[in-house]
Amino acid sequence: MATLLELNNISKSFKGLKAVNDVSFSVEEKSITGIIGSNGAGKTTLFNMISGVFPPTEGTVIYKGKDLASVKPYQYSSIGIARTFQIMKPLKHMTVMENVTSGALFGRRNIKSAKEAEEYALEILNFTGLYERRDVLPGSMGTPFKKRLEVARALATDPELLLLDEVMAGLNPTETDDAIELFRKINERGITILLIEHVMRAVANLCETVVVMHHGEKITEGTPEQVMNDPYVIEIYLGKEDETDG
Amino acid sequence: MMKKRFGSRHIGALLLLLILALIPVIIRNTYIQTIFILIFYTASASLAWSVLGGLTGQLSLGHAAFMGLGAYTSTLLLVNANLSPWLSIPIAFVFVGLICMLLLSPCFVLHGPYFTLVTIAFSYAFLNLFTNWDYAGKGQGIVLPFGAEDFALMRFKSKTSYFYIALCMMVLFYIVLRLIDRSKLGYGLKTVREDEGTANAIGISPLKYKMIATFISAGMIAVCGVFYANYFRFIDPEIMAESQAIEYVLPAIIGGIGSVTGPLIGAFIIVPLSQYLNAALSSVVSGANLVVYAVILIAVVMFQPTGIMGWYQNSKLKKKLSGFFDNLDRKLGFDKSQNA
Ligand SMILES: Nc1ncnc2c1ncn2[C@@H]1O[C@H](COP(=O)(O)OP(=O)(O)O)[C@@H](O)[C@H]1O
Ligand SMILES: [Mg+2]
Repeated sequence: MATLLELNNISKSFKGLKAVNDVSFSVEEKSITGIIGSNGAGKTTLFNMISGVFPPTEGTVIYKGKDLASVKPYQYSSIGIARTFQIMKPLKHMTVMENVTSGALFGRRNIKSAKEAEEYALEILNFTGLYERRDVLPGSMGTPFKKRLEVARALATDPELLLLDEVMAGLNPTETDDAIELFRKINERGITILLIEHVMRAVANLCETVVVMHHGEKITEGTPEQVMNDPYVIEIYLGKEDETDG
Repeated sequence: MMKKRFGSRHIGALLLLLILALIPVIIRNTYIQTIFILIFYTASASLAWSVLGGLTGQLSLGHAAFMGLGAYTSTLLLVNANLSPWLSIPIAFVFVGLICMLLLSPCFVLHGPYFTLVTIAFSYAFLNLFTNWDYAGKGQGIVLPFGAEDFALMRFKSKTSYFYIALCMMVLFYIVLRLIDRSKLGYGLKTVREDEGTANAIGISPLKYKMIATFISAGMIAVCGVFYANYFRFIDPEIMAESQAIEYVLPAIIGGIGSVTGPLIGAFIIVPLSQYLNAALSSVVSGANLVVYAVILIAVVMFQPTGIMGWYQNSKLKKKLSGFFDNLDRKLGFDKSQNA
C-alpha cells in the first residue's frame, strides 16, 4: 500500500505554548488510522494543520507526495481532504439537505448545477441515514444526528482522506455501533480515514494503526493491541481512566 | 424539493404584479403614485443590499455611498457627456461594483461589527470627497438639466413613467435575487455567511465570495442610484450618509434578513409608515420618525430577529396558503408531482 499522508516533524506553537511538538507519522492509502490522547494533547491542532486551517510552525505535511505548504485553506477539499469539526459547525440557517448540497457543489466534485448537486446530496443523505431529516434545520436535531451531518457534508465533497474529529463522543453504545458501521462503509468506498476518538471500543474495532499523543507529542504508534499494552500508554492514558472509573 | 413547477403560485404573483401595474391607471392621485415609486425604489435598494447583507451576512452600512456613486456616475456622464442614463445603468453597475469590491477587499478579513464600522467609514470618506470635489458640484450638489420630456434622457413630466421604471427595477432585482438564492453562487454566499471555517473546509473561498457579493450588491444599488438621480433630478453628497443607508437596511431587517422576499415586504410596510410619520410628526418634533425607526428596529431584533418572513416560515398562515395553492394546482391540473 502507498502512503497517502505523511507528517514530518510538525510542530505548532500558540504564543509560546507548544500545542503540537515534533510529530511524525504516516497514513496508508485506504486505511483507517486512529489518534488517541487525553484532552489538550494536541489532536485537533494536528487536524487543523492537516486540513489547512493553519500551517505548522515547523515541519511539513506531505499529501500524495506533495508538500501542502502553499495550498490555500479552501483548496484542501479540491485535492481530496475533508474534515469534520469537533466543535460542530453546521450551517445553522440552512436545512440538512442544503448543508450537504453545499458540500457537493464545491469540494472535489465541484458540480455546477444546484439541481444535480441536490440529487447527489440525497444519495449521501441516504447513505448516512439522514434522509428522513433532510428538510429540518440542524439545530432541531440531537447531537448524534448533528455529528452525522458533519460527516455527510464532508463526504459530499468526495474526499480521498476523511478526517473525523471525535464524531463518536457523546453517542450511546447503539449509536456508536451505527457510527462504526457507517465508517466501515465509508472506508469500503475506498476513502482513507484518520480519526480522533476517545471511545476505545471504536478505535480497537476500526483502526489498523493507532497513534497516541500526550502533551503535544507522539508517544507511541502501533496496532490497537500493541498500543493498549504499552506500559507508558497505560500509565498516562488508560491509567487515568481507571482512576476516574474507580 | 422546494422547487415548484409553474403553478398557481406563479399566477398569484403575476396577478399581484398586474394589480401593481394598474395602479397608475386606477389611481390618478400623484401623491399615491410617488409613494409607490418610493416603495419600489426602496425595495430595489434593499434587495441590492440583501446580496451582501442578507445572503452573505456582511452587514454593510455603506450602501448609501454605493448608491450615491451610481447617482453621481450617471449624473456626471449626463451633464458632461450628454450620455443617456439608460447607458449609464450598465456603466454604473460595473464601475461602482468594481470600485467597491476593490476598496473593500482588504476589509473582508474583518468580521461582524468591525466590518460594519469600515463600511461606515467608507461612506463618510466618499461623502467628504464629494463635498470637496469641484467637478462634482461640491456640497451644493448637482441639478440635472431640465427640459422637454425625452425618453432617451430618462426625463419625464408625469410620475407614471417613473412609476413603471421603478416597478421594472424592483421586479428585475427580485428575480435576480431568487435566481442567485437557488444557484451554486447562492449556496456559496450562504455558506460563507453561516460559517467561514466550514466554507473553507468544503472548498469555498470566503474572500472570493465576499468579493462577488460586493460586486453584485454595490452594482445593483448603483443602478438604484441612476434611477434616484434621474427621478429626483437633484443629487448632493448627503445621499451618501450612513443615516440614508439605514433606509435600505431596515426593510430587509423587518422583512426578514436572509430571505429574498423579506426586503420587498419590509419596503411595503416601512415606506408608507415613514411617509405617514413624516407628515404627522415632523410638525411636532423633527426627526421623530428616526426615533420610531429605532424603536421598530429594537423591537424586531429583540422579539422577532428573523423578521416577518422568519415568522411566516413557521406560521399557520403559510400552511393555509400552501394548502390553498396546492389545492388550486390540483384543480387547475398543474402537475407538480414530478419532483422526487
Ligand atoms: N487556536 C488556538 N489558540 C491558542 N491555543 C490553542 C488553539 N488551539 C488549541 N490550543 C491549545 O493547544 C492545546 C491542544 O489543544 P487541542 O489540539 O484542541 O487538543 P485536543 O484536541 O487533543 O483535545 C491546548 O492547550 C489548547 O488550549
Ligand atoms: Mg480536540
